[in-house]
Amino acid sequence: MNVGNWRVDLEPRLTSPKWLYAAVPIGSLFCAFIVGGVFLAFTGHSPIGTFALLIDRGFTSTRGITNTLGTATPLICTGLAAAFAFRMNLFNIGEEGQMYLGMIGSAWAGIALAGYLPGFAAVPVVLLTGACTGALWVLVPAVLRAKMGTSEIVSTLLLNYVALNLVNYFIFGSRGFFRDPTTSFPQGRVIEASARLSSFGSTRTYPTVIIAVGLAVGLYWFMKRSNYGYETSVLADSPNTARYAGMNATKLTLSVLLFSGALAGLAGAMYVVGPAGKVDPGLLQVGFGYAGIVVAALARYNFMAVVLTAILFAGLREGGASLQISTNPVPISIAVVLQGAVLLFALGGEVFRRNRLRVRRVQQTVGA
Amino acid sequence: MSNASSEAALGSHRLGGATLFALSARHVTKRFPGVLANDHVDFDLLPGEVHTLLGENGAGKSTLASVLCGLYKPDEGAVLRNGTQIRLTSPRHGLQNGIAMVHQHFRLVDRFSVAENVVLGHRNLPFRLRTNDLENQVAEVAERFGLPLDPKASVGDLSAGQRQRVEIVKALYQGAEILLLDEPTALLAPPEVEKLFETVRAMTQAGKSVVFVSHKLGEVVDISDRVTVMRDGRVTGSVARGEADTRKLAELMVGRDIDLSPRRSRVAAQDTLLHLDNVGLTRDGVDHISQVSFSVRAGEIVGIAGVSGNGQRELAEIVAGLQAPTSGEILINGARVNGIGIRNVRKAGLAYVPEDRLGTGLAPSLSIVDNLVLTRKRGFFVDRKAALDEAEAFIKQLEIKTPHAHTATRKLSGGNSQKVLLAREIFAAGDNSRVLVVCSPTRGLDVGAVEAVHKLLDEARAAGKAILLISEDLDEVLTLADRVMVLYRGSVVHEALGSEVDVELVGLAMAGLS
Ligand SMILES: Nc1ncnc2c1ncn2[C@@H]1O[C@H](COP(=O)(O)OP(=O)(O)O)[C@@H](O)[C@H]1O
Ligand SMILES: [Mg+2]
Repeated sequence: MNVGNWRVDLEPRLTSPKWLYAAVPIGSLFCAFIVGGVFLAFTGHSPIGTFALLIDRGFTSTRGITNTLGTATPLICTGLAAAFAFRMNLFNIGEEGQMYLGMIGSAWAGIALAGYLPGFAAVPVVLLTGACTGALWVLVPAVLRAKMGTSEIVSTLLLNYVALNLVNYFIFGSRGFFRDPTTSFPQGRVIEASARLSSFGSTRTYPTVIIAVGLAVGLYWFMKRSNYGYETSVLADSPNTARYAGMNATKLTLSVLLFSGALAGLAGAMYVVGPAGKVDPGLLQVGFGYAGIVVAALARYNFMAVVLTAILFAGLREGGASLQISTNPVPISIAVVLQGAVLLFALGGEVFRRNRLRVRRVQQTVGA
Repeated sequence: MSNASSEAALGSHRLGGATLFALSARHVTKRFPGVLANDHVDFDLLPGEVHTLLGENGAGKSTLASVLCGLYKPDEGAVLRNGTQIRLTSPRHGLQNGIAMVHQHFRLVDRFSVAENVVLGHRNLPFRLRTNDLENQVAEVAERFGLPLDPKASVGDLSAGQRQRVEIVKALYQGAEILLLDEPTALLAPPEVEKLFETVRAMTQAGKSVVFVSHKLGEVVDISDRVTVMRDGRVTGSVARGEADTRKLAELMVGRDIDLSPRRSRVAAQDTLLHLDNVGLTRDGVDHISQVSFSVRAGEIVGIAGVSGNGQRELAEIVAGLQAPTSGEILINGARVNGIGIRNVRKAGLAYVPEDRLGTGLAPSLSIVDNLVLTRKRGFFVDRKAALDEAEAFIKQLEIKTPHAHTATRKLSGGNSQKVLLAREIFAAGDNSRVLVVCSPTRGLDVGAVEAVHKLLDEARAAGKAILLISEDLDEVLTLADRVMVLYRGSVVHEALGSEVDVELVGLAMAGLS
C-alpha cells in the first residue's frame, strides 16, 4: 500500500516475541473500549462515566465481581470443553447441547439418586452424572469421527437442536419426570436439598467456581506433563507421525471428544447444583455453550487463559446488564457491542502478532 | 577464483571487443522477509551454451531463475537481453523476449491432452482450433528435439519425466530461445536423465541456450559448458568445462572441503539380524511387493535402489510393521514379526527412519526434546528432564544448528531435522535396537548435510547395526551399500556387491530393462 512517498507493508514475522502474546489482547481490549466509547458518545451517554459504571458493576464492586464469578463458572467449563477438543483439531461445537444434557442428567440424579446417598456424596454424584450425560451426547459423533472420519462439526451442531427440543419437551411439552407436579406453571422439579450447594454468603458465587478453576489448572498441568497429553499433541500435529509412533488414533480421538462433552455436561450440572436446582429452560437463553467456543478461541485454547477470558466475558455481560438500571439507562446492547468489538479486535490483533508493520520511504529504483 | 579461465571461455564469443550475451543479470538483488535470496548476483549466458547454476537448497537459484524469466522483479539490479536492458513485468513478457522457465513443480492441466497443454496460453491461436493440425505441430516440435511424446495422451496419465517433456515442448513451441530448467532431474530415473541431456544438447545445437539449475554435483559436470556456483544468495565462483571437478564444486557450494567418496564396511559382517523370506504384499488385486527375499547382517548396509514408486514405501512399511505382508515371513533377531504392529516390531529391535522426515518421522510443531521421546517407552508422565539432557548432548555432538532444544523441528533446516531423527533412531532407540531401516535419508539435503548423514550411517554400521537403506538416489546407495539390490515393480530384479557394481546394469535394471 502506498501513501504518498511512503510505503506501508505487512511482513510475516519469523518469530513472535513473547511480550506480544500479552500486548495484543490488552491492545485489543483497549481498542474495543474506544470503539464502544464512540458508540456511547453518539447515543448521548458519557463514555467515561458509563465505562466506570460498567467496570464497577462487572468487576470492582463486591456485588459485581461475585455476580461475575457466578456467571463465569459454567462458562469456564464450556470454554475448557471447547479448548480441549479444538486444540486437538476436533471441532466439537456441540457444547451447548452437551451442557443441556448435563443439566438433564444431573437433575435426574439429584431427584432420583440423591435421596439414597450419604450427604457428602450427593453433590459429587450429581456432578459426575451430568458430566457423563454430556459425554454420552457426543458419543455418536465421536464414534463416527474416530472410526469413519465423519466431520464432527455438523453432527455435534445438529445435536444441539435435538438437545434444545428435549429440554423444552421435558418442561413444556409433557408432564413427565422432570416437571414439577405441584405447580400449574410449567417448571422443573427441584432436586433433593442434599444435592444442592449454597452460595458464598449472600452472593451469587457458588463453590463450583473452585472446581472450575481447579479443573483448568489440573488440565493445564496434566496435558503438559502426562503421556496422554503428549500423545494427543502428536496426533493433533501430525496424524502420520502418530501412526508411525504406533499410537492408537481412534482411541485418542474418541477419548478427547468424550472428555470435551463431559466438561460441557459439567457446566450444566454446576448450574443445577448451584443457582437452578432443577431443569431450568432459562439456561437455553444464555448461550454458555456457544460463548464457550468464543472464550476458548480468544484464549488460544490455553486452559489458564480460558479462566481469565471467561471472567472477562462474564463481567462484561453482568456489568452491561446492570447499566440498564442506572440513572441514565444504557441499553443492554452496549455490552453486546463491546463483546463484539473485543472479539473483532482480538482476531484483528492476530494479524499484528503474526506480521510486522513496516513503513518505508519509497525510493526511485533504477530497474523497476 | 577462475576469472582468468572464464575470460578465456568467453573469448571465442567476443565480437569486436564486446561480448554479446544472450542473457545477463547485473547486480541482481532480491529480498524476501528475513532473507536476502539474491545478493548482487552477476550471471551471463552465452548463445548456444549450457550454463549450470549450482548451489545448495536455499542458495537462491530458483529466485535468480525467476528474476530472469520475469516472474519476480528484482529489488535492485538489471536483466539484459543481447546486451540491452529489459524490464520484464511477467513470465509472458519474458516469453515475448524468448525466455521460458520450466519450474520445479509443473504447471500443467491434468485433464487436457498433451497438445492442448502445449498450446494453452498461446496468444495467436486461430479462432477455430484444428486439433489435427495442432497435434501435428506439437509432434513435429517434440520430434525435432528428441522428446518422444504422444500429443493425444492425457497429461494426467503421464509420468513425471513425460510431463517434464510436455513443459519443455511447450516452451519450445512458444518460441523460447532461452530455457531455464529448474532442478529438472529431481524427479527422473537415470535413463530419463540421459534422455533429458540428449534433448538439452539438441537444443543447444539448434542455437538455443539453456540455464540448468541443480543442486546435484554428480550430474552437472557432464552436461555443462560452464558452472556458476551460488551460496547464501551470492555467486561464489564460475568454472568452465574441463576445469569442473566435483570436489572443487562441492567446496564452492558449501564453503569447505567435502568428502563424498564411497564408504564401505570395514569389519566382516556377522550374524543375520533381519531376514525377509518370500515377502509379498497384494492389495486390491495388485502386487505391490512380490517374493522379496534377502537378509541383512550386523555390520553391513544393504542398499535398495529403484525409481520412486516401485514398492519402496511398501517394503519399508512392511518391515517396520506399519503394514502386514500378505505372504512370506519377516524375522528380526530370529523372531517372527509379521503383522505384530510397529510398537512390537520396535520392541523386537527395529528402528525406522521414514522417507517423510517432517510429516511422519517427526512431529513438526513439537520441540526437539518432545520428538526425541516419540519412539521411546514412556510412563504415565513424560520424563522430559532426561530427554532435554539427551537433546542437548545430540545438538552438541552432531552439530545440530538450532536456537535451543525446545525449538520446533519444523523450524530446522532439512539437514538438521534429519539429524534429530537419525539421532533418535540410531542412538536413543534403546540397547536392543540393532536393525535400522532408513528411507531416502538425504533427499533434498545439502551436500554438507549429505556428508554428515552418510558419516552417521557409516558409524552406525561400524557399531554393529544391520542397516537396510532404501533410496531413490542411486549415488547414495552406491556410496554406502555393501550389497546393492534394485527394486522394480515390487520385485528385486538385480543384485550386486557394492564394490563390484556395474552402474550401467543397475541403471537399466531401475528402468526395468534387465
Ligand atoms: N516466495 C518466497 N517467499 C519467501 N522466501 C522465499 C521465497 N522464495 C524463496 N525464498 C527464500 O529465499 C531463499 C532462496 O530460495 P531459492 O531461490 O528457492 O533457493 P534454491 O532454489 O537455490 O533452493 C531461501 O532462503 C528461501 O527460503
Ligand atoms: Mg529451487
